[in-house]
Amino acid sequence: MTTPTAPTKPSPSSWLLVAVAWTLVGIPLAWGIYRTLLTAVKLFR
Amino acid sequence: MAGLLAKERIIAGPGFNRWLVPPAALAIHLSIGMAYGLSVFWLPLSRAIGITQPAPGDWKVSTVAWTFTFGIVFLGLSAAVFGRWLERVGPRKAGVAAAFCWGGGFMISALGVYVHNIALLWLGIGIIGGCGLGLGYISPVSTLIKWFPDKRGMATGMAIMGFGGGAMIGSPLANILINHYATPMSVGVWETFVTMGAIYFVTMLCGAFGYRLPAPEWKPASWTPPVTQSALITTRHVHVSQAWRTPQFWFLWVVLCMNVSAGIGVINMASPMIQEVFGGKLIGVAGALKDLLADQRVQVATIGAGFAALLSLFNIAGRFFWASLSDYIGRKPTYFIFFAFGTVLYATAPFAGKIGNVALFAGIFCVILTMYGGGFATIPAYLADLFGTQHVGAIHGRLLTAWSVAGVLGPVLVNYLREYQLGHGVPAASAYNTTMYILAGLLVIGFFANLAVKPVADGRYMSDAQLADERRLAHEAGGAR
Repeated sequence: MTTPTAPTKPSPSSWLLVAVAWTLVGIPLAWGIYRTLLTAVKLFR
Repeated sequence: MAGLLAKERIIAGPGFNRWLVPPAALAIHLSIGMAYGLSVFWLPLSRAIGITQPAPGDWKVSTVAWTFTFGIVFLGLSAAVFGRWLERVGPRKAGVAAAFCWGGGFMISALGVYVHNIALLWLGIGIIGGCGLGLGYISPVSTLIKWFPDKRGMATGMAIMGFGGGAMIGSPLANILINHYATPMSVGVWETFVTMGAIYFVTMLCGAFGYRLPAPEWKPASWTPPVTQSALITTRHVHVSQAWRTPQFWFLWVVLCMNVSAGIGVINMASPMIQEVFGGKLIGVAGALKDLLADQRVQVATIGAGFAALLSLFNIAGRFFWASLSDYIGRKPTYFIFFAFGTVLYATAPFAGKIGNVALFAGIFCVILTMYGGGFATIPAYLADLFGTQHVGAIHGRLLTAWSVAGVLGPVLVNYLREYQLGHGVPAASAYNTTMYILAGLLVIGFFANLAVKPVADGRYMSDAQLADERRLAHEAGGAR
Protein backbone atom coordinates (compact mmCIF):
# COMPACT_ATOMS: atom_id res chain seq x y z
CA MET A 1 0.00 0.00 0.00
CA THR A 2 1.13 3.56 -0.64
CA THR A 3 1.19 6.27 1.95
CA PRO A 4 -0.85 9.33 1.03
CA THR A 5 1.29 12.42 0.58
CA ALA A 6 0.29 15.25 2.88
CA PRO A 7 -1.38 18.01 0.87
CA THR A 8 0.66 21.18 0.77
CA LYS A 9 -0.39 24.61 -0.41
CA PRO A 10 1.54 26.18 -3.31
CA SER A 11 4.18 28.64 -2.19
CA PRO A 12 3.07 32.30 -2.60
CA SER A 13 5.97 33.06 -4.95
CA SER A 14 4.85 30.26 -7.28
CA TRP A 15 1.85 32.34 -8.33
CA LEU A 16 4.19 34.83 -10.01
CA LEU A 17 5.65 31.97 -12.04
CA VAL A 18 2.12 30.83 -12.88
CA ALA A 19 1.29 34.33 -14.17
CA VAL A 20 4.44 34.38 -16.32
CA ALA A 21 3.77 30.90 -17.75
CA TRP A 22 0.16 31.71 -18.61
CA THR A 23 1.20 35.01 -20.19
CA LEU A 24 3.74 33.24 -22.39
CA VAL A 25 1.11 30.89 -23.83
CA GLY A 26 -1.73 33.41 -23.57
CA ILE A 27 -0.19 36.10 -25.78
CA PRO A 28 0.18 33.99 -28.94
CA LEU A 29 -3.22 32.41 -28.32
CA ALA A 30 -4.84 35.83 -27.91
CA TRP A 31 -3.12 37.02 -31.11
CA GLY A 32 -4.47 33.97 -32.97
CA ILE A 33 -7.98 34.54 -31.64
CA TYR A 34 -7.80 38.24 -32.57
CA ARG A 35 -6.72 37.38 -36.15
CA THR A 36 -9.53 34.85 -36.40
CA LEU A 37 -12.06 37.36 -35.07
CA LEU A 38 -10.98 39.85 -37.75
CA THR A 39 -11.91 37.22 -40.36
CA ALA A 40 -15.08 36.14 -38.56
CA VAL A 41 -16.58 39.66 -38.38
CA LYS A 42 -16.82 39.67 -42.20
CA LEU A 43 -19.77 37.29 -41.77
CA PHE A 44 -21.71 40.04 -40.00
CA ARG A 45 -20.94 42.95 -42.36
CA MET B 1 20.52 14.21 -20.99
CA ALA B 2 18.85 10.85 -20.31
CA GLY B 3 18.81 11.58 -16.59
CA LEU B 4 17.34 14.98 -17.22
CA LEU B 5 14.38 13.38 -18.94
CA ALA B 6 13.86 10.60 -16.40
CA LYS B 7 10.49 10.26 -14.78
CA GLU B 8 12.05 10.29 -11.30
CA ARG B 9 13.51 13.75 -12.02
CA ILE B 10 10.14 15.38 -12.58
CA ILE B 11 8.34 14.45 -9.38
CA ALA B 12 7.22 17.80 -7.97
CA GLY B 13 8.43 18.87 -4.55
CA PRO B 14 6.25 20.28 -1.76
CA GLY B 15 4.76 23.67 -2.57
CA PHE B 16 4.75 23.10 -6.33
CA ASN B 17 1.90 24.97 -7.98
CA ARG B 18 -0.19 22.63 -10.13
CA TRP B 19 -1.37 25.55 -12.28
CA LEU B 20 2.08 25.54 -13.91
CA VAL B 21 1.32 22.24 -15.67
CA PRO B 22 -1.56 23.38 -17.97
CA PRO B 23 0.55 26.12 -19.67
CA ALA B 24 3.30 23.53 -20.28
CA ALA B 25 0.69 21.27 -21.91
CA LEU B 26 -0.68 24.24 -23.86
CA ALA B 27 2.77 25.05 -25.24
CA ILE B 28 2.89 21.58 -26.79
CA HIS B 29 -0.73 21.48 -27.97
CA LEU B 30 -0.59 24.99 -29.48
CA SER B 31 2.45 23.84 -31.49
CA ILE B 32 1.06 20.55 -32.80
CA GLY B 33 -2.35 22.17 -33.40
CA MET B 34 -0.83 23.67 -36.56
CA ALA B 35 -1.70 20.30 -38.13
CA TYR B 36 -5.12 21.77 -38.86
CA GLY B 37 -3.61 24.88 -40.44
CA LEU B 38 -1.38 23.09 -42.95
CA SER B 39 -3.75 23.88 -45.84
CA VAL B 40 -2.23 27.37 -45.92
CA PHE B 41 0.83 25.78 -47.62
CA TRP B 42 -0.99 23.83 -50.35
CA LEU B 43 -1.46 26.63 -52.91
CA PRO B 44 2.12 27.99 -52.70
CA LEU B 45 3.42 24.40 -52.86
CA SER B 46 1.40 23.81 -56.03
CA ARG B 47 3.52 26.44 -57.78
CA ALA B 48 6.89 25.72 -56.16
CA ILE B 49 8.53 25.51 -59.61
CA GLY B 50 6.41 27.99 -61.57
CA ILE B 51 6.48 30.49 -58.64
CA THR B 52 3.70 32.77 -59.98
CA GLN B 53 1.59 29.98 -61.51
CA PRO B 54 1.76 26.16 -61.71
CA ALA B 55 4.33 24.91 -64.23
CA PRO B 56 5.09 21.44 -65.65
CA GLY B 57 6.47 19.30 -62.83
CA ASP B 58 4.64 21.23 -60.12
CA TRP B 59 2.70 19.22 -57.54
CA LYS B 60 -1.11 19.18 -57.55
CA VAL B 61 -2.93 20.51 -54.47
CA SER B 62 -4.52 17.07 -54.03
CA THR B 63 -1.03 15.52 -53.97
CA VAL B 64 0.48 17.83 -51.34
CA ALA B 65 -2.72 17.62 -49.25
CA TRP B 66 -1.88 13.95 -48.57
CA THR B 67 0.62 15.33 -46.05
CA PHE B 68 -2.30 16.18 -43.75
CA THR B 69 -3.95 12.77 -44.22
CA PHE B 70 -0.67 11.01 -43.38
CA GLY B 71 -0.33 13.26 -40.34
CA ILE B 72 -3.73 12.38 -38.90
CA VAL B 73 -3.32 8.65 -39.62
CA PHE B 74 0.11 8.57 -37.97
CA LEU B 75 -1.23 10.64 -35.07
CA GLY B 76 -3.64 7.83 -34.25
CA LEU B 77 -1.15 5.04 -34.92
CA SER B 78 1.68 6.55 -32.87
CA ALA B 79 -0.62 7.43 -29.97
CA ALA B 80 -1.84 3.83 -29.95
CA VAL B 81 1.64 2.29 -30.24
CA PHE B 82 3.63 4.62 -27.97
CA GLY B 83 0.98 5.24 -25.28
CA ARG B 84 2.28 2.44 -23.07
CA TRP B 85 5.86 3.63 -23.50
CA LEU B 86 4.74 7.13 -22.47
CA GLU B 87 3.24 5.81 -19.23
CA ARG B 88 6.57 4.15 -18.37
CA VAL B 89 9.00 6.93 -19.28
CA GLY B 90 6.83 9.88 -18.28
CA PRO B 91 5.58 12.98 -20.06
CA ARG B 92 8.88 14.85 -20.30
CA LYS B 93 10.68 12.25 -22.40
CA ALA B 94 7.56 11.83 -24.57
CA GLY B 95 7.26 15.61 -24.96
CA VAL B 96 10.91 15.90 -26.02
CA ALA B 97 10.44 13.05 -28.53
CA ALA B 98 7.36 14.85 -29.85
CA ALA B 99 9.40 18.08 -30.23
CA PHE B 100 12.06 16.25 -32.25
CA CYS B 101 9.42 14.59 -34.46
CA TRP B 102 7.26 17.69 -35.08
CA GLY B 103 10.09 20.24 -35.37
CA GLY B 104 12.31 17.76 -37.23
CA GLY B 105 9.43 16.82 -39.51
CA PHE B 106 9.20 20.45 -40.64
CA MET B 107 12.94 20.43 -41.38
CA ILE B 108 12.71 17.24 -43.48
CA SER B 109 9.72 18.65 -45.36
CA ALA B 110 11.69 21.86 -45.96
CA LEU B 111 14.39 19.73 -47.61
CA GLY B 112 11.68 17.98 -49.60
CA VAL B 113 10.40 21.31 -50.93
CA TYR B 114 13.94 22.55 -51.59
CA VAL B 115 14.88 19.50 -53.70
CA HIS B 116 11.27 19.12 -54.92
CA ASN B 117 10.80 15.59 -53.64
CA ILE B 118 7.20 14.81 -52.63
CA ALA B 119 8.20 11.69 -50.66
CA LEU B 120 10.35 13.84 -48.34
CA LEU B 121 7.47 16.29 -47.89
CA TRP B 122 5.15 13.45 -46.85
CA LEU B 123 7.81 11.76 -44.71
CA GLY B 124 8.63 14.97 -42.81
CA ILE B 125 5.43 16.60 -41.62
CA GLY B 126 3.15 13.71 -42.58
CA ILE B 127 4.79 10.60 -41.14
CA ILE B 128 7.50 11.74 -38.70
CA GLY B 129 5.52 14.86 -37.81
CA GLY B 130 2.41 12.68 -37.42
CA CYS B 131 4.25 10.61 -34.80
CA GLY B 132 5.06 13.91 -33.05
CA LEU B 133 1.37 14.79 -33.14
CA GLY B 134 0.39 11.53 -31.48
CA LEU B 135 3.08 11.68 -28.80
CA GLY B 136 2.53 15.38 -28.13
CA TYR B 137 -1.24 15.04 -27.99
CA ILE B 138 -1.30 12.32 -25.33
CA SER B 139 1.81 13.44 -23.41
CA PRO B 140 0.04 15.68 -20.86
CA VAL B 141 -3.23 13.77 -20.47
CA SER B 142 -2.52 11.43 -17.57
CA THR B 143 -0.28 14.04 -15.91
CA LEU B 144 -3.06 16.64 -15.91
CA ILE B 145 -5.62 14.13 -14.66
CA LYS B 146 -3.32 13.26 -11.75
CA TRP B 147 -2.77 16.93 -10.89
CA PHE B 148 -6.46 17.81 -11.12
CA PRO B 149 -8.44 14.88 -9.65
CA ASP B 150 -11.09 17.44 -8.70
CA LYS B 151 -11.28 19.02 -12.20
CA ARG B 152 -10.29 16.28 -14.65
CA GLY B 153 -12.46 17.59 -17.47
CA MET B 154 -11.38 21.19 -17.12
CA ALA B 155 -7.68 20.31 -16.94
CA THR B 156 -7.61 18.16 -20.07
CA GLY B 157 -10.03 20.57 -21.75
CA MET B 158 -7.50 23.39 -21.32
CA ALA B 159 -4.74 21.39 -23.03
CA ILE B 160 -6.90 20.07 -25.83
CA MET B 161 -8.25 23.59 -26.37
CA GLY B 162 -4.66 24.40 -27.35
CA PHE B 163 -4.78 21.86 -30.15
CA GLY B 164 -7.85 23.67 -31.51
CA GLY B 165 -6.08 27.02 -31.21
CA GLY B 166 -2.79 25.99 -32.83
CA ALA B 167 -3.96 26.67 -36.36
CA MET B 168 -5.26 30.12 -35.34
CA ILE B 169 -1.69 31.11 -34.52
CA GLY B 170 0.13 28.99 -37.09
CA SER B 171 -1.91 29.86 -40.19
CA PRO B 172 -1.53 33.66 -40.04
CA LEU B 173 2.10 33.26 -38.94
CA ALA B 174 2.76 30.99 -41.93
CA ASN B 175 1.16 33.55 -44.26
CA ILE B 176 3.33 36.33 -42.84
CA LEU B 177 6.47 34.19 -43.19
CA ILE B 178 5.65 33.00 -46.73
CA ASN B 179 5.19 36.62 -47.85
CA HIS B 180 8.39 37.62 -46.07
CA TYR B 181 10.51 34.87 -47.66
CA ALA B 182 8.92 34.89 -51.14
CA THR B 183 11.32 35.96 -53.92
CA PRO B 184 11.23 35.66 -57.73
CA MET B 185 13.14 32.36 -57.22
CA SER B 186 11.13 30.87 -54.33
CA VAL B 187 7.54 30.75 -53.08
CA GLY B 188 8.97 31.00 -49.56
CA VAL B 189 7.62 27.70 -48.23
CA TRP B 190 10.83 25.82 -47.40
CA GLU B 191 12.19 28.83 -45.55
CA THR B 192 8.88 29.07 -43.64
CA PHE B 193 9.07 25.37 -42.77
CA VAL B 194 12.59 25.85 -41.33
CA THR B 195 11.51 28.87 -39.27
CA MET B 196 8.32 27.30 -37.96
CA GLY B 197 10.05 23.99 -37.28
CA ALA B 198 12.60 25.82 -35.12
CA ILE B 199 9.88 27.79 -33.29
CA TYR B 200 7.84 24.65 -32.61
CA PHE B 201 10.91 22.68 -31.50
CA VAL B 202 11.89 25.30 -28.91
CA THR B 203 8.30 25.88 -27.73
CA MET B 204 7.66 22.16 -27.31
CA LEU B 205 10.94 21.65 -25.46
CA CYS B 206 9.92 24.44 -23.05
CA GLY B 207 6.58 22.69 -22.56
CA ALA B 208 8.18 19.28 -22.03
CA PHE B 209 10.61 20.68 -19.45
CA GLY B 210 7.69 22.38 -17.70
CA TYR B 211 6.00 19.03 -17.00
CA ARG B 212 6.00 17.83 -13.40
CA LEU B 213 4.39 14.75 -11.91
CA PRO B 214 2.67 14.77 -8.54
CA ALA B 215 4.08 12.51 -5.82
CA PRO B 216 2.23 9.18 -5.52
CA GLU B 217 -1.17 9.57 -3.83
CA TRP B 218 -0.85 13.37 -3.88
CA LYS B 219 -4.08 15.31 -3.68
CA PRO B 220 -4.93 19.03 -3.72
CA ALA B 221 -4.77 20.74 -0.33
CA SER B 222 -8.36 21.90 -0.32
CA TRP B 223 -9.89 18.77 -1.79
CA THR B 224 -11.35 15.70 -0.14
CA PRO B 225 -12.27 12.80 -2.43
CA PRO B 226 -16.06 12.37 -2.39
CA VAL B 227 -17.21 9.49 -0.19
CA THR B 228 -19.95 8.48 -2.59
CA GLN B 229 -19.77 9.05 -6.30
CA SER B 230 -21.22 7.80 -9.56
CA ALA B 231 -20.79 4.10 -10.35
CA LEU B 232 -19.16 5.31 -13.59
CA ILE B 233 -16.22 6.80 -11.66
CA THR B 234 -13.78 4.20 -10.37
CA THR B 235 -10.96 4.54 -7.87
CA ARG B 236 -9.31 1.38 -9.24
CA HIS B 237 -7.25 0.90 -12.39
CA VAL B 238 -7.58 -1.17 -15.57
CA HIS B 239 -4.43 -2.26 -17.43
CA VAL B 240 -4.23 -0.91 -21.01
CA SER B 241 -3.93 -4.47 -22.33
CA GLN B 242 -7.26 -5.26 -20.66
CA ALA B 243 -8.99 -1.95 -21.36
CA TRP B 244 -9.17 -2.35 -25.11
CA ARG B 245 -10.76 -5.78 -24.66
CA THR B 246 -13.72 -4.30 -22.77
CA PRO B 247 -17.00 -3.29 -24.45
CA GLN B 248 -16.70 0.10 -22.71
CA PHE B 249 -13.56 0.91 -24.71
CA TRP B 250 -15.26 0.12 -28.01
CA PHE B 251 -18.43 2.00 -27.08
CA LEU B 252 -16.28 5.06 -26.39
CA TRP B 253 -14.36 4.42 -29.62
CA VAL B 254 -17.68 4.63 -31.51
CA VAL B 255 -18.71 7.69 -29.46
CA LEU B 256 -15.52 9.56 -30.46
CA CYS B 257 -15.56 8.34 -34.05
CA MET B 258 -19.18 9.39 -34.69
CA ASN B 259 -18.83 12.75 -32.98
CA VAL B 260 -15.63 13.59 -34.86
CA SER B 261 -16.85 12.26 -38.25
CA ALA B 262 -19.89 14.51 -38.16
CA GLY B 263 -17.99 17.61 -37.01
CA ILE B 264 -14.93 17.22 -39.21
CA GLY B 265 -17.17 16.83 -42.27
CA VAL B 266 -18.76 20.20 -41.52
CA ILE B 267 -15.43 21.93 -40.82
CA ASN B 268 -14.06 20.85 -44.20
CA MET B 269 -17.08 22.11 -46.11
CA ALA B 270 -18.10 25.12 -43.99
CA SER B 271 -17.08 27.86 -46.40
CA PRO B 272 -18.43 26.38 -49.67
CA MET B 273 -21.54 25.14 -47.85
CA ILE B 274 -22.76 28.55 -46.64
CA GLN B 275 -21.94 30.05 -50.05
CA GLU B 276 -23.87 27.42 -51.98
CA VAL B 277 -26.84 27.28 -49.60
CA PHE B 278 -27.46 31.04 -49.49
CA GLY B 279 -25.73 32.35 -52.62
CA GLY B 280 -26.48 36.05 -53.27
CA LYS B 281 -28.59 36.37 -50.12
CA LEU B 282 -25.34 36.65 -48.16
CA ILE B 283 -24.69 40.05 -49.80
CA GLY B 284 -28.31 41.10 -50.20
CA VAL B 285 -28.82 40.24 -53.87
CA ALA B 286 -31.03 37.65 -55.48
CA GLY B 287 -29.69 34.54 -57.21
CA ALA B 288 -27.77 31.37 -56.60
CA LEU B 289 -23.96 31.32 -56.30
CA LYS B 290 -23.51 30.28 -59.93
CA ASP B 291 -25.54 33.29 -61.13
CA LEU B 292 -23.42 35.91 -59.33
CA LEU B 293 -20.91 38.25 -60.97
CA ALA B 294 -17.19 37.74 -60.32
CA ASP B 295 -16.89 40.57 -57.75
CA GLN B 296 -20.04 39.37 -55.99
CA ARG B 297 -18.53 35.89 -55.75
CA VAL B 298 -15.44 37.37 -54.13
CA GLN B 299 -17.65 39.08 -51.51
CA VAL B 300 -19.53 35.83 -50.87
CA ALA B 301 -16.25 33.89 -50.58
CA THR B 302 -15.04 36.43 -47.97
CA ILE B 303 -18.20 35.77 -45.95
CA GLY B 304 -17.62 32.02 -46.34
CA ALA B 305 -14.13 32.44 -44.88
CA GLY B 306 -15.64 34.46 -42.02
CA PHE B 307 -18.06 31.62 -41.30
CA ALA B 308 -15.22 29.07 -41.22
CA ALA B 309 -13.27 31.33 -38.83
CA LEU B 310 -16.30 31.75 -36.57
CA LEU B 311 -16.69 27.97 -36.39
CA SER B 312 -13.06 27.53 -35.34
CA LEU B 313 -13.61 29.97 -32.46
CA PHE B 314 -16.63 28.01 -31.24
CA ASN B 315 -14.65 24.79 -31.68
CA ILE B 316 -11.97 25.88 -29.17
CA ALA B 317 -14.48 27.52 -26.81
CA GLY B 318 -16.43 24.26 -26.72
CA ARG B 319 -13.34 22.31 -25.73
CA PHE B 320 -12.99 24.27 -22.51
CA PHE B 321 -16.70 24.83 -21.81
CA TRP B 322 -18.06 21.30 -22.24
CA ALA B 323 -15.07 19.54 -20.65
CA SER B 324 -15.38 21.83 -17.60
CA LEU B 325 -19.15 21.36 -17.45
CA SER B 326 -18.66 17.58 -17.51
CA ASP B 327 -16.93 17.84 -14.11
CA TYR B 328 -20.29 18.92 -12.68
CA ILE B 329 -22.90 17.01 -14.69
CA GLY B 330 -20.85 13.86 -15.48
CA ARG B 331 -19.31 12.56 -18.71
CA LYS B 332 -22.17 10.34 -19.84
CA PRO B 333 -24.79 13.12 -19.54
CA THR B 334 -22.42 15.47 -21.40
CA TYR B 335 -22.22 13.10 -24.39
CA PHE B 336 -25.97 12.53 -24.05
CA ILE B 337 -26.40 16.27 -24.73
CA PHE B 338 -23.91 16.19 -27.63
CA PHE B 339 -25.71 13.39 -29.40
CA ALA B 340 -29.35 14.23 -28.57
CA PHE B 341 -29.08 17.99 -29.13
CA GLY B 342 -26.61 17.54 -32.00
CA THR B 343 -29.01 15.24 -33.87
CA VAL B 344 -31.77 17.84 -33.58
CA LEU B 345 -29.43 20.60 -34.76
CA TYR B 346 -28.16 18.66 -37.81
CA ALA B 347 -31.74 17.78 -38.73
CA THR B 348 -32.81 21.44 -38.37
CA ALA B 349 -29.99 22.89 -40.51
CA PRO B 350 -31.69 22.13 -43.88
CA PHE B 351 -34.82 23.94 -42.61
CA ALA B 352 -32.74 27.03 -41.73
CA GLY B 353 -31.29 26.93 -45.25
CA LYS B 354 -34.71 26.48 -46.83
CA ILE B 355 -36.23 29.52 -45.09
CA GLY B 356 -33.10 31.53 -45.90
CA ASN B 357 -32.24 32.40 -42.30
CA VAL B 358 -28.46 32.94 -42.31
CA ALA B 359 -28.25 33.74 -38.57
CA LEU B 360 -30.13 30.57 -37.60
CA PHE B 361 -28.01 28.48 -39.98
CA ALA B 362 -24.74 29.93 -38.65
CA GLY B 363 -25.94 29.64 -35.04
CA ILE B 364 -26.79 25.95 -35.49
CA PHE B 365 -23.32 25.15 -36.78
CA CYS B 366 -21.60 27.23 -34.10
CA VAL B 367 -23.31 25.14 -31.40
CA ILE B 368 -22.53 21.93 -33.30
CA LEU B 369 -18.84 22.90 -33.43
CA THR B 370 -18.72 23.54 -29.67
CA MET B 371 -19.90 19.96 -29.20
CA TYR B 372 -17.37 18.65 -31.74
CA GLY B 373 -14.55 20.27 -29.74
CA GLY B 374 -16.18 19.26 -26.46
CA GLY B 375 -16.20 15.64 -27.60
CA PHE B 376 -12.43 15.66 -28.04
CA ALA B 377 -11.77 17.42 -24.75
CA THR B 378 -14.08 15.38 -22.52
CA ILE B 379 -13.01 11.91 -23.66
CA PRO B 380 -9.78 11.67 -21.54
CA ALA B 381 -11.75 12.37 -18.36
CA TYR B 382 -14.42 9.84 -19.42
CA LEU B 383 -11.64 7.23 -19.84
CA ALA B 384 -10.10 8.12 -16.47
CA ASP B 385 -13.50 7.78 -14.80
CA LEU B 386 -14.09 4.33 -16.29
CA PHE B 387 -10.60 2.81 -16.38
CA GLY B 388 -8.74 4.70 -13.62
CA THR B 389 -5.72 6.96 -14.01
CA GLN B 390 -2.78 4.51 -14.05
CA HIS B 391 -2.86 3.82 -17.81
CA VAL B 392 -5.23 6.54 -18.99
CA GLY B 393 -2.65 8.08 -21.35
CA ALA B 394 -2.04 4.76 -23.09
CA ILE B 395 -5.76 3.94 -23.25
CA HIS B 396 -6.44 7.41 -24.66
CA GLY B 397 -3.72 6.79 -27.22
CA ARG B 398 -5.44 3.64 -28.46
CA LEU B 399 -8.80 5.38 -28.55
CA LEU B 400 -7.38 8.07 -30.84
CA THR B 401 -7.40 5.54 -33.71
CA ALA B 402 -11.08 6.54 -33.85
CA TRP B 403 -9.92 10.04 -34.82
CA SER B 404 -7.80 8.65 -37.66
CA VAL B 405 -10.80 6.76 -39.01
CA ALA B 406 -13.08 9.77 -38.58
CA GLY B 407 -10.53 12.04 -40.24
CA VAL B 408 -11.00 10.05 -43.43
CA LEU B 409 -14.67 9.04 -43.01
CA GLY B 410 -16.17 12.48 -42.29
CA PRO B 411 -14.74 14.49 -45.20
CA VAL B 412 -15.21 11.60 -47.66
CA LEU B 413 -18.85 11.24 -46.62
CA VAL B 414 -19.63 14.94 -47.00
CA ASN B 415 -17.64 15.45 -50.23
CA TYR B 416 -18.94 12.37 -52.04
CA LEU B 417 -22.56 12.89 -50.99
CA ARG B 418 -22.38 16.44 -52.32
CA GLU B 419 -20.84 15.32 -55.61
CA TYR B 420 -23.37 12.51 -55.94
CA GLN B 421 -26.32 14.83 -55.43
CA LEU B 422 -25.00 17.50 -57.77
CA GLY B 423 -24.41 14.77 -60.35
CA HIS B 424 -28.06 13.74 -60.03
CA GLY B 425 -29.38 17.23 -60.70
CA VAL B 426 -30.01 18.39 -57.12
CA PRO B 427 -29.60 22.21 -56.92
CA ALA B 428 -26.42 23.32 -55.11
CA ALA B 429 -28.50 25.07 -52.42
CA SER B 430 -30.15 21.74 -51.48
CA ALA B 431 -27.15 19.46 -52.02
CA TYR B 432 -26.28 19.41 -48.32
CA ASN B 433 -29.72 18.44 -46.99
CA THR B 434 -29.29 14.66 -47.28
CA THR B 435 -25.75 15.00 -45.94
CA MET B 436 -27.08 16.72 -42.81
CA TYR B 437 -29.60 13.94 -42.23
CA ILE B 438 -26.85 11.33 -42.61
CA LEU B 439 -24.59 13.21 -40.18
CA ALA B 440 -27.55 13.30 -37.77
CA GLY B 441 -27.73 9.52 -38.27
CA LEU B 442 -24.07 9.18 -37.23
CA LEU B 443 -24.90 11.02 -34.02
CA VAL B 444 -27.81 8.62 -33.38
CA ILE B 445 -25.29 5.73 -33.53
CA GLY B 446 -23.07 7.64 -31.09
CA PHE B 447 -26.08 8.28 -28.84
CA PHE B 448 -26.76 4.55 -28.43
CA ALA B 449 -23.07 3.73 -27.98
CA ASN B 450 -22.89 6.27 -25.14
CA LEU B 451 -26.10 4.92 -23.65
CA ALA B 452 -24.56 1.43 -23.59
CA VAL B 453 -21.58 2.52 -21.44
CA LYS B 454 -21.76 0.81 -18.03
CA PRO B 455 -19.16 0.41 -15.26
CA VAL B 456 -16.26 -1.90 -16.10
CA ALA B 457 -16.63 -5.47 -14.80
CA ASP B 458 -14.75 -6.24 -11.56
CA GLY B 459 -12.53 -8.87 -13.15
CA ARG B 460 -10.97 -6.29 -15.48
CA TYR B 461 -9.30 -4.22 -12.75
CA MET B 462 -5.70 -4.77 -11.66
CA SER B 463 -5.14 -6.42 -8.30
CA ASP B 464 -3.09 -4.54 -5.67
CA ALA B 465 -0.08 -6.70 -6.53
CA GLN B 466 -0.45 -6.01 -10.27
CA LEU B 467 -0.85 -2.29 -9.60
CA ALA B 468 2.28 -2.22 -7.42
CA ASP B 469 4.16 -4.05 -10.18
CA GLU B 470 2.95 -1.55 -12.80
CA ARG B 471 3.98 1.37 -10.62
CA ARG B 472 7.41 -0.17 -10.16
CA LEU B 473 7.75 -0.58 -13.93
CA ALA B 474 6.63 3.01 -14.34
CA HIS B 475 9.34 4.16 -11.89
CA GLU B 476 6.75 5.50 -9.49
CA ALA B 477 8.19 5.60 -6.02
CA GLY B 478 4.92 4.58 -4.40
CA GLY B 479 4.99 1.24 -6.14
CA ALA B 480 8.30 0.28 -4.62
CA ARG B 481 7.14 0.71 -1.07
